[in-house]
Amino acid sequence: MKNIYILLLSGLLFLIACSKDLNIKPKNFVADEDLMSNEAGMEIYMARMYSNMPFEDFKYMAQWGLNFNSWLGATGIDGTGEALDRDGICTAFTNEDNPYWGSAFVLLRDANHLLEALPQFKGSFAEPTYNDYLGQAYYVRATVFYAMARRFGGIPLVTKVIQYPADQDALEVPRSSEEDTWNQILADFDQAASLLSPKSPKQGYSNKYVALAFKSEAMLYAGSVAKYNETVTGRLTGLGQKTGTRVMGFAADTWQSASKKYFREAYKAAREVMLNGGYSLYKKKWVANDRDAQYQNMVDMFSDLTSPENIYVREYLYPTLTHGYDAYSSPFIFRAPLSSGTCPTLDFLELFDGFDRYADGTVKVTTGTSNSTGEYLLYDKPMDFFKNAEPRLRANVIFPGDVFKGKEIEIRGGVFTGSTPIKPLFSDYSYANANQLYQQLDAYTKQPKALYLSSNSGSSQELVPYNGSNMTAAGANGPFYSSGESCITGLYARKWLNPDPSFVAGEGKSAQPFILMRYAEVLLNAAEAGLELSLAGETTPDESDMLQVATNVVNSIRERAGATQLISVIESSQAGRNIVRKERRKELAFENKIKWDLRRWRVQHYDQREGFWGEAKNKDLYSNSSEYRFRGLYPFFSTQTGKYFFDAHFQWVSMKTFQYNPIDYYFAIPGGEVSKSTVIDQQPNR
Amino acid sequence: MKKIIFYPLFILLFSLSSCSMFEIDNYKAPAETIKGEVVDVATGKSVLTDQGSEGIRVRLTEVSYGDNVTPNPDFYCMPDGTFQNTKLFKGKYNIRIDGPFIPLVRADQSGTPIADESTTMEISGVTTVKFEVQPFLNVEWVGNPTVSNGQIIAKVRVTRGVSETDFKSKVEPMGNYNSTFLNITDIRLFVSYSSSVGYRARDDRWSNKIEYTGSDFNPLVGQTITIKSAGSIPPGRNVFIRAAARINFDTPVGSGTRRWNYNEPTEVLIP
Repeated sequence: MKNIYILLLSGLLFLIACSKDLNIKPKNFVADEDLMSNEAGMEIYMARMYSNMPFEDFKYMAQWGLNFNSWLGATGIDGTGEALDRDGICTAFTNEDNPYWGSAFVLLRDANHLLEALPQFKGSFAEPTYNDYLGQAYYVRATVFYAMARRFGGIPLVTKVIQYPADQDALEVPRSSEEDTWNQILADFDQAASLLSPKSPKQGYSNKYVALAFKSEAMLYAGSVAKYNETVTGRLTGLGQKTGTRVMGFAADTWQSASKKYFREAYKAAREVMLNGGYSLYKKKWVANDRDAQYQNMVDMFSDLTSPENIYVREYLYPTLTHGYDAYSSPFIFRAPLSSGTCPTLDFLELFDGFDRYADGTVKVTTGTSNSTGEYLLYDKPMDFFKNAEPRLRANVIFPGDVFKGKEIEIRGGVFTGSTPIKPLFSDYSYANANQLYQQLDAYTKQPKALYLSSNSGSSQELVPYNGSNMTAAGANGPFYSSGESCITGLYARKWLNPDPSFVAGEGKSAQPFILMRYAEVLLNAAEAGLELSLAGETTPDESDMLQVATNVVNSIRERAGATQLISVIESSQAGRNIVRKERRKELAFENKIKWDLRRWRVQHYDQREGFWGEAKNKDLYSNSSEYRFRGLYPFFSTQTGKYFFDAHFQWVSMKTFQYNPIDYYFAIPGGEVSKSTVIDQQPNR
Repeated sequence: MKKIIFYPLFILLFSLSSCSMFEIDNYKAPAETIKGEVVDVATGKSVLTDQGSEGIRVRLTEVSYGDNVTPNPDFYCMPDGTFQNTKLFKGKYNIRIDGPFIPLVRADQSGTPIADESTTMEISGVTTVKFEVQPFLNVEWVGNPTVSNGQIIAKVRVTRGVSETDFKSKVEPMGNYNSTFLNITDIRLFVSYSSSVGYRARDDRWSNKIEYTGSDFNPLVGQTITIKSAGSIPPGRNVFIRAAARINFDTPVGSGTRRWNYNEPTEVLIP
């Protein structure tokens, strides 16, 4: 029984402490004077800020929001039509599971603290270094405000460190109006650009032209929102219930002037990068009239860190700082541990040059006037279908039968053994009939069987006797009709995948950089802002001819891409603006940019959806009211002819239907933030 | 000495327990019921709607809870224009509905309230509430739908439930008034195997629509309009159909959602 006393006594010992000398600063406590009085300390401070930046790279998934995780890495699957994926993450961009709110204020505090505390240590640094640090802080703050504003509209503009504890009034910051929010973003980007050095002092830091490039993107967003809110029923605006501030949208009497002002700023910022930034389009391997060289050039540019086109890059380093894009989005034959996360759509392919088309602009696969009439066009090998395809498309997409990592990527939907000429497999390819699938066709289910398909790989493959041996019904990569890990659209994304044949993909094995901002986007920003200014009847902000600039921009990008050049100057019209929009959709695909473009153009809800593809396209081809879908391009082999034919059909495997309503243009403020605060307003239209 | 190991374990066990672990969480489950109906103030008939977020939205806010309250999760009316929620805590609630009728809560551009016809009431036991609203449109069948070759041919008549002057007098003070608000933009014929047919329960193969630009529909108000189903419905099937129409005005204002007024569903046998 004595033991219990020993225990109790020893327990008491833990409760005793000496109280003398507690005024000595603990060794594990890092104060401002440790960090801000020398460059090594500042590097630590910067590293913390930059590792929390709301960058949308390989570690961003639209459905999940900013949680810095590369699991299931895929791009363009957020209802933009660039690509499809089998999982629930493949959904329209109507909210983020982790709303960018709480963590944003942590980063804002870091930036604001630097702005307030650094002046005390001004003497420790040379003048340009000191200014650059302040510029970095403004850049960080602008980036956070911008990331929030494009999600929520008006946000609490916390521009100083709020000391805690304090009165409730001092701690609570209400949402500002959307117009004030964009004005603050403009001011912060301008401050950053004026303070930052022309070249980044360290890898990963911002510089003057990074700030200007993102300023042009942000101002283009602001100008578009002010203008295109007007095209949505109800004008997408309203006053907060608690504060009476216009937290969403623009007032009827200010939207026009605000829109012009932002487009003007976007144009000026982009032009300054063009004139003084010293960047250029990547053309290291580019050769005029050589399609293979043009294609290879555009493949290489995404992994070449010395590219003169790179303005701002998120770098990775094996084995300490990696992502897993190749582990999830590689073709099925390179499965490690998953595959086929990013399968481009036929609708995306149709944006590009080099295909025969029907009258309605869709890609021609039969001899008839639409894909339900006539007979299938036959090809000796699948790649023949793509022989005239724009080189840029081939750099974006792996075609059936093309080579990737030294292997032929075999993609085949099935084998058709019926007689020739081959009539279209379905009688109706319209949206209403999208749920009719190949495995339900009589040719597959009834005798005599003329269509062979495979539900899965391996032993599930159906075998078809051909030329004395057996061939599998589906290709090595599928599509397998019961496997979402096969090639679900008949196409694979090539952009961002590591093309090195010796590279073995795996989770946390990838270290390709992600280009967050490249010169091509700045060019397109200038072109779009110029067109918008011209449409609004504005004069040029500098000496340049805005329409000529836009034309040159589109032509320089098309030249590099191997696409058909414009022969005349772009007109100041909706059609002219659409030329620039479509070019943007093609050039910046799979770069986590398009979902923001569709959002700011306000073309995702049904009423305005004919502008969804950047150009005017009949929305009823792919949508019905708030819902919409995308199509795949499925190659089939015909044993009677020994040739391939293609069928254009709505997504066959892991079918996805997307939905978008006008209220989705502004994300809901997280409910908990609204209910715990007396000043934070919910969106007025929610 | 081996037994000494039990003392720390015993102490550890004790420190992990607390009195509340032995109590039953006896807070009563929410059990109060609100039942409501939405009727046309002019005719007393129910305002028919869609079952889903394009229908009549019911928003309850428990005002007895505190000053800064957020609404309960929204729910929606049933297709016949009634709603019910049987899992509410007892308390005082503000009940607001939004649908294809003149908004009950109206405010001007600066947020100053103009009118508030929402209801604030105690909910306990089974509480009933009735909202009298002015629907934008009335949609009705004319005769019985006929079928030919698997295609349904229905005749509908669309009339205004609220006069243009009345609409203008109530909506114009809310600001940004536009004369196009009253234009009827489309007529729909929804077809489904389900009796809760509507926008949310429609079969895209057969549902159809007629769209009108600008004020093209105005001369057709009160006229009989023929609308056919799309495609061909296989013989021997029973389907339900419903027609709907909407104006160029979103409710609640700013949401961009233009809601339809419906007629009652009817069953059609495809011979």
